Amino acid sequence: MRMLAGTKLSKRFGGIQALDDVSVNIDEGDILGLVGPNGSGKSTLINVLSGYHQADSGSALFGGVDLLGLEPHEIAASGVARTYQIPRPFSSMTVLENVALSFMFGRNRHSLDEARSATAGWLEFTGLSDVAAEPIDQLTLHQLKFLELARALATEPKLLLLDEVLAGLNPTEIEESIDMIRRIHSRGITLVIVEHVIRVVTALSTRIIVLDQGRVIAVGQPDEVMREPDVVKAYLGSRWKHA
Amino acid sequence: MPDVLVQAVVSGVLIGGLYAVMSVGISLSWGALKIINLAHFSFILLGAYVTYQLTASLGWDPLLTLAVVIPGGFLAGVAMQVFFEWTKVDEFQSLIISFGIFIIFQSVTRSIWTADFRTIPTDRNPYATASWFVGDIAIQLAPFIAFVAALGIAVGTTYLLTRTYFGKSVRAIAHDPEIARAFGVDHRRVAILLSGLAMAFSAMAGTFIATFQSLSPAVSFAWFGIVFPVVILGGLGNSVGALGAGVLVGVAAGIATALWGPLAAPLVTFLILIAALLFRPEGLFASRSAV
Amino acid sequence: MTARRRSLVGFALVFLVLLLVPIFAERVDAPGFYLTFMFTAFFWIGQATSWNMLTGYTGYFSFGQGAWFGIGVYTIGILAAKEGWPFLLALPVGGILAAVAGTLLGVVVFRLRRLGGEIFALTTLAIAFVFASLARLFPFIDGGRGIFMTGTPLPEFLGDFRRAMYWLTLVVAAVTVLTAYLIHESRLGWGMFAIRDDEQVAEGLGVPAFRTKMLALVANAFFSGMMGGVWALQIGFITVEDVFNIRVPLFVILMSVLGGMTHWLGPAVGAIIIFTLTDRLNSAGLEDVNLVIIGTLLIVLVLAVREGVYLRLAERWRITVPIFVGAMILFGLTPIGSSVIWDFTFASFVTLLVSLIPTRAEPARIDDDGAERQAA
Repeated sequence: MRMLAGTKLSKRFGGIQALDDVSVNIDEGDILGLVGPNGSGKSTLINVLSGYHQADSGSALFGGVDLLGLEPHEIAASGVARTYQIPRPFSSMTVLENVALSFMFGRNRHSLDEARSATAGWLEFTGLSDVAAEPIDQLTLHQLKFLELARALATEPKLLLLDEVLAGLNPTEIEESIDMIRRIHSRGITLVIVEHVIRVVTALSTRIIVLDQGRVIAVGQPDEVMREPDVVKAYLGSRWKHA
Repeated sequence: MPDVLVQAVVSGVLIGGLYAVMSVGISLSWGALKIINLAHFSFILLGAYVTYQLTASLGWDPLLTLAVVIPGGFLAGVAMQVFFEWTKVDEFQSLIISFGIFIIFQSVTRSIWTADFRTIPTDRNPYATASWFVGDIAIQLAPFIAFVAALGIAVGTTYLLTRTYFGKSVRAIAHDPEIARAFGVDHRRVAILLSGLAMAFSAMAGTFIATFQSLSPAVSFAWFGIVFPVVILGGLGNSVGALGAGVLVGVAAGIATALWGPLAAPLVTFLILIAALLFRPEGLFASRSAV
Repeated sequence: MTARRRSLVGFALVFLVLLLVPIFAERVDAPGFYLTFMFTAFFWIGQATSWNMLTGYTGYFSFGQGAWFGIGVYTIGILAAKEGWPFLLALPVGGILAAVAGTLLGVVVFRLRRLGGEIFALTTLAIAFVFASLARLFPFIDGGRGIFMTGTPLPEFLGDFRRAMYWLTLVVAAVTVLTAYLIHESRLGWGMFAIRDDEQVAEGLGVPAFRTKMLALVANAFFSGMMGGVWALQIGFITVEDVFNIRVPLFVILMSVLGGMTHWLGPAVGAIIIFTLTDRLNSAGLEDVNLVIIGTLLIVLVLAVREGVYLRLAERWRITVPIFVGAMILFGLTPIGSSVIWDFTFASFVTLLVSLIPTRAEPARIDDDGAERQAA
């Protein structure tokens, strides 16, 4: 079943066309991988879908409503959540309070008393139970990334947009995170993942979209897409340049 | 257009030059150094009183006092930036701290010069009453001098910021201090020099004010309502924009005064600010900001 | 729940005791200036706490307190003194008008997401000047002539002027602090804190930022306007210069920064300390250095005590409470303090000094920055 239909999305920043007529469909149960070289528009796409940036044109139908006409908090209320590449926790709150806040607002409205008692599940799921009462500055990067996940999950989303969850983690932590993403998916949440580590994306995704300079250059099954000449050229070519 | 309005527009343009000189220092330090320094108002006031004192008791020509006021302002700006660098304040803290400095200077100024209005004695001030006439329209000398100075500052700082190594460093630290540092820009030195320059402009504005207005410590509060619209309309760090915005505010306030009396001027100024915030929050002249 | 109930019971008890003070004071024949001292403190507690509902909770720094206060003062001046309305009927009108003005400002400056907090701060700085010039411009407000407040009738059940002022300021301050507490312990309040920490992230997690900020601003304006209305009675002759000056915004900022802006009780504690300090400086004939001290204090506090003293005092209550009580007794028995207010002043400062002794666990601020940069 179609969950989100994004049509002809465009976004310009000054002289840079970050998204150029991008169309993207997400079906329920997908793990959609977004790949592409730096500056190809992956993060911009997530920013546009979550309302963080306003698209210049296009539409994104989600449950019959165009997300582009909504405020970010309305998008959250309709069941779309996101994480940030660089973790952005609420620094005056503890770990538990960060998660409780998301649950209170998020997709469904809950009172403060409900929220305080309901957070245990997500904290345990993300392995943060031990640091629940800690202030944010006591956490490692790995824990901060998992707090991003816990906070997004606490909004009870139908669609979760993950922006480079693995960046900056060591191999053990990456394995742990992949496992976590699989477990989130098995809870019935549809996922969009933006990731640099190709191996991880191809292993996780059910479908892949490759972006280059703001345009979609390939869509399909992971193993097929990654063999297409255009993709190899765009991806590896610019990877070499950047390296 | 009736003569009253023509006169209002002409005077408004000229006084707009003064508004620009008053605003350009705050605009530069906010735009380039990310410091909202309310102490600029203190040094405008202090500059004005120093000019008053030197002319009233030593008989100096008012414009000659710039020789003391400008270096004094520069040193004050340098000292202030050294303090800000040392305490590593962010934008908001700079606002609150400089508010504290402003309050202290209010008290100090009042205790030295009292709360009474002071005016440079007319026999010591050749600029106050001099004006040219074009038909029935008067061009007053004192605001004209301020306007010329504003033009000079706009052209000079634009040249400085776009054509010199110092200017490039300023733009680099305004854009991203970390990267600028990585490329070998001495952030501290550039910031201190710029702050000194910005404060010198403000002190200079004080001298111009003293040449044709009465002074009291309380008048500096009223400046807030003029300077911030000019800074925001002109665009942060944009000295040419500040001149344009100063003229716009000066003319609008001048017309409002001519039509509805002097009390209407702050209202019109504020309405312009609100309109600007709604439609052009990046400033009216922001197509190509100098910083 | 139990913590909340305990707070509310404590709150009710303090309120009841304070309510009975004037009656008790009459019995022991206490000098009248004690009541004046206390109701002036209540005034500042109300003002600082209302300011903090906006600035402390949402992080949007406001210089506009004078505007809301002034609307309250002038509403009473016009409706009660000039038009002869019953005072208690005119009072809520002042609060509502201030709230309406706050709403108008908020609609303009909060509607655009790209407007930062600095622009908000400076707009609020300008707004008091605008109200001042409106008041001067229109004769039905002031027209530059001022308004005589003498002879404004007060409800008889409130007793003489001093007692009436005491009870009115006490009730308004208590309702303000109670509201601040209830917001602090609610979903709405948490939405505000999230906005203070990171507005974009908060909005993305479902916090309706615009509505939340509007509520904070309206609450600030309403309670400040109400307290302004009560204070109008204390001002014999209302003038634009006295009402719309920098005093009110300056003091509420200082009090909240000192007491601590993240806690609902912080501004009230800050208000008591700062008011006591300025009151004593004035009574010692040091009005001139008063503002210099206040300004210096503001600078030092912003740099040194970032979380405010209330949290320090509360965290170390096992030390601070006995020290305060002990100092009160000591100064009370010795002739060092010549009145209870002086005793209180000295005892407060001894306690504050003790609470400000740094602990080793405190991380330096530079380390925080470094860590942030590394994370980024």
